[in-house]
Amino acid sequence: MKDRFGFDWSGTAGTQFWRRPQLGRRMFFRHAASAVGGYFLLPTLATEKVASAAVTPRGTAKNCIFVLMLGGPSQIDTFDLKEGAWTPADLAPTSIGEIRWPRGLMPKLADQMDSLALLRSVRSWAAVHGLAQAWVQIGRNPIAASSRIAPHIGSVASIELGGRHPNPVLPAFVSLNVGSGIGPGFLPPDNAPFFITPNGSGLGNTTHRDGAERFDRRYGLLLEMDRELRETPELGAAPLQTASYNLAARRLIYNSEVDRVFLFDQNERSRYGSSGFGNACIAARNMLRANIGVRFIQITQGNWDQHENIYTPNAGHLLLGRQFDSGLGTLIADLKNDGLLEETLIVAMGEFGRTTGALNALRGRDHLLQQAALVAGARVRGARVIGSTNQAGSATLEPGWSRNRDIRAEDIEATIYSALGIDWTTIRRDDPLGRGFEYVPFADRDQYGPVDELWA
Amino acid sequence: MGVAGGAFLLAPALVAQSNCTFRVDPDEYLGREARIRRELFEQTRLARGWAGRAADARAVAAGEIPRRNFIDEEIFGKLERLNVPSARPAADEEFFRRIHFDLTGHPPEPAEIREFLVNDSPSKRNEVIDRLLYAPQFVDRWTMWLGDLLQNVTFPSNFDRQYDGRNAYYDWMRLAIGQEKSLKDLAYEAVSAIGNSYRKEEGGANFPLNGITPMGPIQDTYDNMLNRAATTFLGLSHYDCLLCHGGRGRLDQVSLWGATSTRLEAQRMAAFFSRARMIKPRVAASEFFYNSYDVTEAPTGAYDMNTVSGNRPNREPVGQVRSLTPVWQFSGATPGDGNWRSWFASYMVDDPMFARNFANRLWKELFGMALVEPIDSLDPARLDPANPPPEPWKMQATHPELLERLAHQFREDGYNLREFVRLLVQSSAYQLSSRYDGEWKIDYLPLFARHYPRRLEGEEVHDAIVKATGVATNYTIRGLETTSWAIKMPEPVEPRSNGAAVGFMLPFLRGNRDTQPRLQDGSILQQLNLMNDNFVLSRVKVTASAPLRAIAAMPENETVVEELFLRILSRRPSEAERGVSLRFLEKSGAARTAYVEDLAWVLFNKVDFLFNY
Repeated sequence: MKDRFGFDWSGTAGTQFWRRPQLGRRMFFRHAASAVGGYFLLPTLATEKVASAAVTPRGTAKNCIFVLMLGGPSQIDTFDLKEGAWTPADLAPTSIGEIRWPRGLMPKLADQMDSLALLRSVRSWAAVHGLAQAWVQIGRNPIAASSRIAPHIGSVASIELGGRHPNPVLPAFVSLNVGSGIGPGFLPPDNAPFFITPNGSGLGNTTHRDGAERFDRRYGLLLEMDRELRETPELGAAPLQTASYNLAARRLIYNSEVDRVFLFDQNERSRYGSSGFGNACIAARNMLRANIGVRFIQITQGNWDQHENIYTPNAGHLLLGRQFDSGLGTLIADLKNDGLLEETLIVAMGEFGRTTGALNALRGRDHLLQQAALVAGARVRGARVIGSTNQAGSATLEPGWSRNRDIRAEDIEATIYSALGIDWTTIRRDDPLGRGFEYVPFADRDQYGPVDELWA
Repeated sequence: MGVAGGAFLLAPALVAQSNCTFRVDPDEYLGREARIRRELFEQTRLARGWAGRAADARAVAAGEIPRRNFIDEEIFGKLERLNVPSARPAADEEFFRRIHFDLTGHPPEPAEIREFLVNDSPSKRNEVIDRLLYAPQFVDRWTMWLGDLLQNVTFPSNFDRQYDGRNAYYDWMRLAIGQEKSLKDLAYEAVSAIGNSYRKEEGGANFPLNGITPMGPIQDTYDNMLNRAATTFLGLSHYDCLLCHGGRGRLDQVSLWGATSTRLEAQRMAAFFSRARMIKPRVAASEFFYNSYDVTEAPTGAYDMNTVSGNRPNREPVGQVRSLTPVWQFSGATPGDGNWRSWFASYMVDDPMFARNFANRLWKELFGMALVEPIDSLDPARLDPANPPPEPWKMQATHPELLERLAHQFREDGYNLREFVRLLVQSSAYQLSSRYDGEWKIDYLPLFARHYPRRLEGEEVHDAIVKATGVATNYTIRGLETTSWAIKMPEPVEPRSNGAAVGFMLPFLRGNRDTQPRLQDGSILQQLNLMNDNFVLSRVKVTASAPLRAIAAMPENETVVEELFLRILSRRPSEAERGVSLRFLEKSGAARTAYVEDLAWVLFNKVDFLFNY
């Protein structure tokens, strides 16, 4: 029986060259797919997974917005407020219920406290930027051997959820405000992040500088000229795949549906704080409202890495904090009004925290493993704190959850998967290393898991 | 088909009689090859280029392909035995464009193409190969390859090499390629390096730095120094697994050698690095060398089994053994006096895996798929044809004897990059078309019955557009010479100074040699950039591009079409494409210049522009 590329799958039994003990044909495909030639010349492989089925993902979220606070925000000035002589007046610490919160720095989020849960017992594994940033995005040690092929958490979300939309306009995983980043690892390229830096003037490179009419003339000629090539199977799947990317790209060009998502005016930008972060929040909201296929949105905001002058007015943490608040606070409010918040998990965190107490000699804070995270949406119970730290805010006192230890990046990864209805104990068998790829490391040992207390 | 059966068949006896050099008399085979090529050239000329259909779309019997060297014996011999048809040899146009991209990273000029096509000399392909091997652009393109392999990054995630280190490393590599340094010497220097990372003469000292592993004890760094050396130069990335846990129960379905290797054996290999010291010099902050690294060897030290933290499981004493001294796993040898890293380096370059690894990696660069995939997961227990593994394990390479012969030849030729590349690209196997007439089956994949197309790298896309339009921008690179060519960048995140150039190239996934690998994936963003990015649009304008201006001034539409195809796609149009193009231009009226620009835009956006086939 032939598939749409004309390949007869029945003729593949008994292949010799890639056979491994007891794993004949499947291993052949896996190897073939890991080679460039193989990738071009094969249709997409069916995945084989082994899921434990002993766990029940929560499944309250259809979407996830992951805010990466690049550089590492100071936890004691944000989500785990600790007051002392150092605390600038601008922070205006306030009690909201039993939660101390820097209302002066983050007033809009203060108003949304009913929707927010604060994780205060989070601890990073590494205090080195590159390592820790990769760690939180792939949910495992980047130095580990299997991390060479590890996908971004968003790519896993994409491959699990991406197929559900009948007519997607954008890929399932969108990454805002960076031009490149960690990608899909060994997963197919459809799960790669789609990088956008929204500025309100539309989606980049979806209009033609020489005019729409000229574009139509050019594109019409292209289709005619290239038809032969795009339809021939003689070169393998590569031209066909390129053709499909090209058609998907064409759909984004001069597309009013797409424009509605990425065109927003000065008023709107101002509502969200008139910043790059705010613009990304608007785009995220619009993407979810428009339901165009996007499921996982990463927004990168930085640079929080203030070793110097952390409290300078209108700079450092005071500026970033306000931008963070205006963007995310307004986003949460808008999503709530749209009815989208309860099906969207929001996680905001950095790659690690910062030193506590008095400032350093340069009037800043340095790297610290202890950190805190903000979670909202997806029916997470708000207005509360999970975990607590010592007086300084430099180490966990009460973990506050069932595993009774620090919350790690791997646990947050499991939490995201669980919320999205993804079995976090899944081990994929289509990895090129042939060892099996665990969505969350050491799944067979139940070493990490979701912070279920968020929903308790 | 026109190729008579027996007259062109290779006589295997002739090869068996040739003596140990595995090469065959060039004239004999070039004579036959020239006859076949002329026949096929006639057919492809009729078919008008690569996309057209040949008069008789039948695949070629493997026995009819001329065998130029032992690569062809192995590849076509196997195809014959399995009765699998071969693709036809690539026509001159296909070969000429491909060899330019593969050797120099950019396409040929139209005048060069024309000259090549009318050249009747049977040795013309070998002459082109020779010319390109010694072109300055060969150095550019293969320095980029080497930079990927040796991971030259300014700010990797595990330490800061800084710009001066990055540049010293880059210069050291360029010099090595330019001066034909033996890859054996290069590898030896890199692994055993003593020196300062900012010094170009000691630029190899940057290689050990890649092993630096923060957030853990120093043994984590020794482990990763072994890991980098073994992966890069022996293809043994499984050490990364073994350094956490032994192979038994974990690598049993992945590597026969790995499955029987223990963590202790791996750690005894890492012990070769346990006297390495990588420290910043104690100089004033204003000194040039302030942020550099001095890479040295201490006179004493060993791999202590006393860790309870860091990136790998605890290291505990084994009985009374509290620290490990080095043992070369493959022979049991222990180092004598002197620098332990030098001992490792000398065992490493003499190990059979060294030549196999380079042969395999270089094969992949030119053939699109390696003889052993993945290229960093070689299994020493399954590569020697004289010692096949026990059932049910199979030999790892698609062509085990071929890999051995390639490794042998690589050694014989003094580990010379150019000679090895020459060997590969002179073969008929390399010079097969990527178009496969006849029914392609998945089973054929490991047989190299056709040439596998690959996407152009971001640098190649950028440079091809710049070269074709003649519109170049000077990019400044900190500490190095200004240049307009992306293939000359010291690392793929450059040119940092030009956001527009970097932004255009980003979707082509050059990676960062660290957390983001170079990828051959396509994407929607690539297509958006090719269609709408200012990088392209500003160049398909006669006001900016002198070559386009000259073409637009040509009175005959036929000539315009042919010139544009040669300039942008390095080939002539097929009949169908010619027809479509002429009909388009005929409609232009007074807007002819604009229509010529449109046609140029279309050619940059054609599927075949993006591929090296």
